[in-house]
Amino acid sequence: MLIIPTFLGVTILVFLLTRIVPGGPLERWLQETALAGTEGLATQSSDYASQGGSTLSDEQIQEMAEYFGFDKNPLHSYVLWLGRLFVFDLGTSTKYNEPVWEIIRSRLPVSIFYGVATLILTYGVCIPLGIVKAIKHKTVFDNISSILVFTGYAIPSYVVAIALLTAFAAGFEWFPLSGFVSSNFHSLSLFDKVLDILHHAVLPLIAYVAGSFAFMTMLMKNSLMDNLAADYVRTAVAKGLHFRSAVFNHALRNSLIPIATSFGNNLSLIITGSFLIEMIFNINGFGLLGFDSLVDRDYPVVMGIVVISSLLFMIGNILSDICVAIVDPRVKFGADGSNQ
Amino acid sequence: MVQISSVFKLSLDPQTVKQWKRFRSIKRGYFSAVFLVFLLLLSCFAELLVNSRALIVSYDGKWYFPTYSWFISGDTFGLDYDWETNYRELKQHFKEQDEGNWVLMPLVPYDPFENDFSNTYGAERPSWETKHYLGTDTAGRDVLARLVYGFRIALGFSLVLLTCSYIAGIAIGCAMGYWGGAFDLVFQRLIEIWNTIPFLYVIMIVASVVVPNFWTLVIVMVLFGWTAMTWNMRTSTYKEKAREYVNAARALGSGNARVVGVHILPNTISVIVTFIPFSIAGGIAALTALDYLGFGLPPPTPSWGELLRKGTQSLDHPWIVWSVAIAIIVILLMVTFIGEAIREAFDPKKFTYYE
Repeated sequence: MLIIPTFLGVTILVFLLTRIVPGGPLERWLQETALAGTEGLATQSSDYASQGGSTLSDEQIQEMAEYFGFDKNPLHSYVLWLGRLFVFDLGTSTKYNEPVWEIIRSRLPVSIFYGVATLILTYGVCIPLGIVKAIKHKTVFDNISSILVFTGYAIPSYVVAIALLTAFAAGFEWFPLSGFVSSNFHSLSLFDKVLDILHHAVLPLIAYVAGSFAFMTMLMKNSLMDNLAADYVRTAVAKGLHFRSAVFNHALRNSLIPIATSFGNNLSLIITGSFLIEMIFNINGFGLLGFDSLVDRDYPVVMGIVVISSLLFMIGNILSDICVAIVDPRVKFGADGSNQ
Repeated sequence: MVQISSVFKLSLDPQTVKQWKRFRSIKRGYFSAVFLVFLLLLSCFAELLVNSRALIVSYDGKWYFPTYSWFISGDTFGLDYDWETNYRELKQHFKEQDEGNWVLMPLVPYDPFENDFSNTYGAERPSWETKHYLGTDTAGRDVLARLVYGFRIALGFSLVLLTCSYIAGIAIGCAMGYWGGAFDLVFQRLIEIWNTIPFLYVIMIVASVVVPNFWTLVIVMVLFGWTAMTWNMRTSTYKEKAREYVNAARALGSGNARVVGVHILPNTISVIVTFIPFSIAGGIAALTALDYLGFGLPPPTPSWGELLRKGTQSLDHPWIVWSVAIAIIVILLMVTFIGEAIREAFDPKKFTYYE
C-alpha cells in the first residue's frame, strides 16, 4: 500500500505552497481593509493611501492571521489540518465563509451528471465502434471513422467547446449560451426540467467526449484485432463455429481487459472534469470551483479539492483492479500482493 | 526515394530506410509533414509576407529595403515627418505624385501590433479592399498578422519546450529504468506527487511574482512536463535492459555509460520519435490554453489564445473565433496525422484478419 505516502506527500506539498506564496487571504484582507479605510479619506493625499494598511494595529493583524490559521508554523498547522481531516472537517472557505464540504457538495450534482454522461457516452460509443472497426479492418468505414476519431483527438477540447459555442449557440442560437439549467428551471414541469438539462448539456457533452473517443476506440480495436489473430479464435472458427459467435463469445471478453484497466482512471475524470469547458459554458461544476478557488486564493477550498481528487484517483486505481478481476478470471484478489 | 537512399547509403541503416519508406507511403501523414515544414519555413520569413514595412521602396532612383533594416524616417522619402514611415500611406502618396517612385508592400501590409481604426472603430469584418483578409480584432489589429506571428511563437515555444523536457525526461527515465530499485521507487513516488500539484497554480504563483515571459513559461512548463517522457523512457529502458545484447555488452566489459548511451538509447529511439508530434501538439494546445486564460505570454505578444479570448468575449465578431479555431484545428490535425504516420512507420501493426 503505497497510497498513503503519496497522499501525504501531495497534501504536504500543496499545503506548503499555500503558505509560501505571496498574495494569500491575509494579504488580500489587509489590502481590502486598507482600501476600505482610504475610501472614507478620499481627500487625503495618495501616498497616505498607499500606507493605508498601517491604520490597522498589530493586534488586529495578529487576530486575522489567527483566524486564517497563518499564525503557526506551516508544519504545525498542516498537522492540525490533517487531524481535522480525519473527522471529515475540511475547514471554512475564506471567500464564501461557508464550510468547504458544503461548497463542494453543492457542485457535486452538476459534475457527477456530466461525468457519468461522458463515461456512458464514451464507453457506449467506443466499444461497439471499436468492435465494428476491428471486424471491418481496412474498409472504407474503418478509414473514415479513423479520420473522424483522430480529428476529435487532435483538437483540444476547449477549442471544440469554443467552436461549438460560436456556431450553435451564438450563430444559429439552437442551444443556450451557458449555464446548467435555465433561470426559470424551478417553475418547469418534470418533463421540461429533463429537457432543459439535456438542452443545456448537448454542447458541453460533445466537447467533453470528442477527445476521448480516439484512445478508447483504438484500444478496443487493436486489442480485439490481436485476439482475433490468436490461435484460439482460429481454432474456434476452424471447428465450425460461426464467425460472429467466435468474436462475441471468445475474442471479445479477452479484449475487454485493457478497456477495464482504463476504467478506473476515467473515474477520477468524472468529477474533476475540464475546468476550461466548464468555464466556457459557465457550468458551476467541480473544475470551475477549483479554478476559481485558485484565482481567489481560497486555500481551504483548494486543499479540499486536492484531497477529493487524490482520493478519487486512488479509488479509481482500486476500481480498475476490481474491473480487471471481473473481466479476467485469471486475476484473483490476494493472489498477487503487488499493487498496480 | 531512390535518390535519397543512394545518397545516404553510407549513413542510413536499412532499418531507417525502411521506416522512412513506410512513413512516405502513408499519404495523409507524409503530406501533412511536407506542408507543415513548408509553413514552418515560411513563418521564419513572416516579416516578408506580413508586415507594415514595405519590401522595396524605389525613391529618386534609389532602392530601399526596410523589412530587416533599422527604421527609415518619413523625411527620407520627402514626407514632412521624421518618425517611421507609414508605407501604406507612402504608397498612396507616390501614386498621387506619379513621379515614377513606387512601393512594394508585403501580401498582408499590417504588422501584428498596430491598431488600425482607419475604417471602423472596433473590430472590422474581413475584406479584400482594406487588405484585412481575416478582419481585425476588437483592438483593431489585423487577425491574419496575429495568426501568422502567433503560429511562429507557438511552434517555436513548443519546440523549445519539447527539447528541454525530453532531455530531462530521457535522462531521468533512463536512470530510473537502468538502476531500478530504491532509486526507481523514490522517483516514482516523487513523480506521482509532482503530477498532482495543480500546474495552473504554479503558473499563477509565477505570474504574481514576475511578469511571465517566453523563458519563464518554458521553465515552468518543463518543470511539469518532464514526467510524461520519464515514464515512457523508464518503461522502455526496463524492457531493453532485460535483453541479451545488454548482457553481452556488459560481459565484454562496457561500463554503465557505454551500455546506456551506445546500446540502450539507440534502441529506445522509436519511443522518443513517436512521441514527438504528440508533444508538439500538446505544447501548442497548452500555450494557447494559458494565453486564453490570461496566464500566458504578456499582452501585446501575438498569440492564438489571446485571439480566442477576444473572440469569445465578443461573440458578435465571429470571424475572430473562426480564424483562430480553424487555424488551430488544421495545424493540430496535421501534427496528429504526422504522429499517427510515424507510429505506424515505426511499429507497423500487421494483423491477420478474416476477409
